Amino acid sequence: MDPVKYLKSADLMSWLEELARENKVFAPRYEGDAVIFAPFDPKQEISIKHAATMPPKKTVFPQSEKLVDFTYSKDPENLSRILIEAKEILPKGTTVVFGSRPCDVRGFTMFDRVYLAEKTTDVYYKARRENTSFITLACEKPETTCFCHWVDSSPSDASGSDVLATPIEDGYVLEPFSEKGQKLLTSSLLENGERWILEVKDVHENAAGFLANAPDLSQAPQKLLDVFDNMEFWENAAAKCLSCGACTYLCPSCYCFNITDETTGMKGTRFRSWDNCMSAQFTMEASGHNPRPTKAHRLKNRVGHKFSYYPAIHDGVISCCGCGRCIKSCPVGIDIREIVQEAINHEPAIGKE
Amino acid sequence: MKDKNHYLPEMATINEVIQETHNIMTFRVTFNDPQVMENFTFQPGQVGQLSSFGTGEATFVINSPPTRKDYLQFSVMRTGEVTSKLHSLSEGDQIGVRAPLGNFFPYEDMKGKDIVFIGGGIGMAPLRPLMLYMLDNRKDYGKITLLYGARSPVDMAFNYELQSWLEREDLETHLTIDAKYEGWQHTVGLIPNVLLDIAPSSENCVAVTCGPPIMIKFTLQALEKLGFKDEQIVTTLEKRMKCGVGICGRCNIGSSYVCMDGPVFTAAQLKELPNEL
Amino acid sequence: MGNPRSESNKGDQVKFQEELKDNIRKALPELDVVIGWCGSFDPLHATPHFMRREEDIDKLEISPLSVHNLATYLPGLRGKKVGIVVKGCDSRSVVELLQENLINREDITIFGFPCTGVVDQSKIKKALGGHTGNIEFCDMSESVIVIKSEDKAYTLPMAEMLADKCSSCRYPDAVISDYFAGEKIGNKGEEDADYAAVETFENLSVPERFGYWLKEFDRCIRCYACRNACPLCVCRDHCAAESRDPHWLSQENNVRDKLMFQVIHAYHLAGRCTECGECQRACPVDIPVLMFKQKMNKEIRDTFQYEAGVDPEATPPLLSFKMKEENITEKVW
Repeated sequence: MDPVKYLKSADLMSWLEELARENKVFAPRYEGDAVIFAPFDPKQEISIKHAATMPPKKTVFPQSEKLVDFTYSKDPENLSRILIEAKEILPKGTTVVFGSRPCDVRGFTMFDRVYLAEKTTDVYYKARRENTSFITLACEKPETTCFCHWVDSSPSDASGSDVLATPIEDGYVLEPFSEKGQKLLTSSLLENGERWILEVKDVHENAAGFLANAPDLSQAPQKLLDVFDNMEFWENAAAKCLSCGACTYLCPSCYCFNITDETTGMKGTRFRSWDNCMSAQFTMEASGHNPRPTKAHRLKNRVGHKFSYYPAIHDGVISCCGCGRCIKSCPVGIDIREIVQEAINHEPAIGKE
Repeated sequence: MKDKNHYLPEMATINEVIQETHNIMTFRVTFNDPQVMENFTFQPGQVGQLSSFGTGEATFVINSPPTRKDYLQFSVMRTGEVTSKLHSLSEGDQIGVRAPLGNFFPYEDMKGKDIVFIGGGIGMAPLRPLMLYMLDNRKDYGKITLLYGARSPVDMAFNYELQSWLEREDLETHLTIDAKYEGWQHTVGLIPNVLLDIAPSSENCVAVTCGPPIMIKFTLQALEKLGFKDEQIVTTLEKRMKCGVGICGRCNIGSSYVCMDGPVFTAAQLKELPNEL
Repeated sequence: MGNPRSESNKGDQVKFQEELKDNIRKALPELDVVIGWCGSFDPLHATPHFMRREEDIDKLEISPLSVHNLATYLPGLRGKKVGIVVKGCDSRSVVELLQENLINREDITIFGFPCTGVVDQSKIKKALGGHTGNIEFCDMSESVIVIKSEDKAYTLPMAEMLADKCSSCRYPDAVISDYFAGEKIGNKGEEDADYAAVETFENLSVPERFGYWLKEFDRCIRCYACRNACPLCVCRDHCAAESRDPHWLSQENNVRDKLMFQVIHAYHLAGRCTECGECQRACPVDIPVLMFKQKMNKEIRDTFQYEAGVDPEATPPLLSFKMKEENITEKVW
């Protein structure tokens, strides 16, 4: 790897402007009272002091994207016959995301195992993932809702990121973590950052120091299966759930989607859009049968998927990056940490079962 | 190497439409590209996503056997938006097909065994390709018994071939309907009860069943009474699916994805899964 | 809230909270559940609290953090015996649900208390420089909120931190209750509702207004927290937002569809919405969606002189008709 670089805070905007010449650049900024990853605009202030309200999930997995365009036309040989042409719409261009947090980007590593699986590679995801670089900011201080340390991560975890930027006095130390990352660090605005390496270590250690001991989640996969049929457990956990999609749409590792068609006249598009397992329609079958008919069934799936079903088929990796957005942004304060711990500590009633 | 786009359907033409019952239609389709048709391979039990562009996709079993490749056959029961749209299609219409998806019946493991097919209503469709495949490779299998039931004679699909099934000497066919019906010359009774009457021996036998959830529930009980072990019972599941390749997240039962790890499961495998059918 | 009470009234709060707990203790044996609030993931947040056993009651906490309108849970619990703790505004949602036969009065036990207003988390966040992720301490009195965040102490005037609906509240006491703990503040339903903000917005030009919504809805993620937090959005599992038949909205990511949903939502709530503000509070990206409903309610007030959720016997104006409406002029053909 190339040596680490240093960027003065005062040069940050100029550097992003440079990057924006050849890439689409996303950076967090205030939209109303929320901090959202938006196309970089040198005239608008960016907001990177704290983790953004929304993770930059949409840069690789858009809220809605075109999969296939189709057109109808009349067969000139047989006018009663309608011909259909379907064309794939693959994403183009390169994107750089600045100001993501370690948890935000680590979410994509959980996508990768599913979307880049050998025999079922998702060409849309792959195109974006390969052409998107993440310049991730190491966290200086975790928030109350942060729990990355529960799920094998840390405030300076670079997994999935191309560059890790660590804020130090008056600037950032930039460490490349991929070839893509190295290529981003060629600007003349950057100077050698080797001499800051101890400061960087301090920042990382200091941040990690704020996080108290993490509970042992190794039993979570089995314990969640043990309470699978205990609907009382899940009804209690889900009692206050509103069945909205805020937790899933704000989650860096939630990757479910819907596919729907829209037509206008003789043209149409097949879209892929975010969908969420909290919604009653998600598993609703045409017959009216729904395998997850209540919010308790649905919350069970969300927690179960992250802490049990996904690890079971992906080398024990928990599909949660601990960003805490589902806790912080839940309109009713559901705390996934509590549910997982309750499942782990749950003792089956004696005599029952 | 360029990755395959799993979401891009292959264009196909409907060559024949059969009105099976008041709410079931069968479509026989061929891919527009002869090369694709030529190279297309699948196994009995695998499914495909049929696309009506502008409406959407839905999942159906390829119910023609791989041994008969003039066309791919799908039987569609009208239940929702996509199936209603498909029912409006006729010969010559274009549809998209994404296939084959999912796993298939373990027909290799069934070699040398007796087979009992138990199909209820549209649940006969997934059994058809396996049964025809076995009939096309008859010497590989022992006694083959079919119990096919529907609510009434008019709800019975594949009417046009039932007679030939009844006449075959290498296939024991039982047809049943739920309640008495004028002119019906076969059995009357619910599938699980009729199954108990036929009482196939569980010795060296595999039961393959598909049908509505309530029928499956009681059929499994009947099979158990007849001495069938969970490993000897094979079924195929239906779930709402979108991607068909294990990504979109709606057909999972615990860690298993019906679109990838299924739709075919043995009763023993189902018992290992969380209870969320 | 417009009712000046002295600092020493914090003692009152503790007192009525104990009285409220006693009320719940008395009623709980006959009920399946009583819904209130308790502490949450940090000292600045509360969360809905479902009390099923007597020991659950100890955790009940009433404070300006009791923001959630618990009436939202009632239609989903129909058929059960449910107790519900309500602020004045929440009680209006209960009344509206009763008016529409969406819940049964005999199944619901209502616990009222004198509400002095709840906070607006966005206002606190702003006052703390945009960050409430590290709250270490929070204490509230009638007049101030004291918060310690990142080793810094903030003393914020309560009046400035209250939700907008509280600054102009006319129903601090539950309008309907079976138990009322504490001393009533006094409702002022006869005063006119305050639609000054809506009026100011109405005075903008069409491009200004439309431009505003285009910008605000650009960040909508279509999670439908606004809908699901709404106590009166009762067809949520069969909503036009996701329906393909009728197919009114697409799943494309465009402002047109997002706005269209808000319009459908607001129209369905005209004359039913009690302006509890849950739609806006629930929005994870802080889109000011309450204004749509306030606008509809303002029109309903002007046209029908009607206010939702005050009288359990009243029929909401759009659920009935008169042969000759007083304020709707028939078009002369």
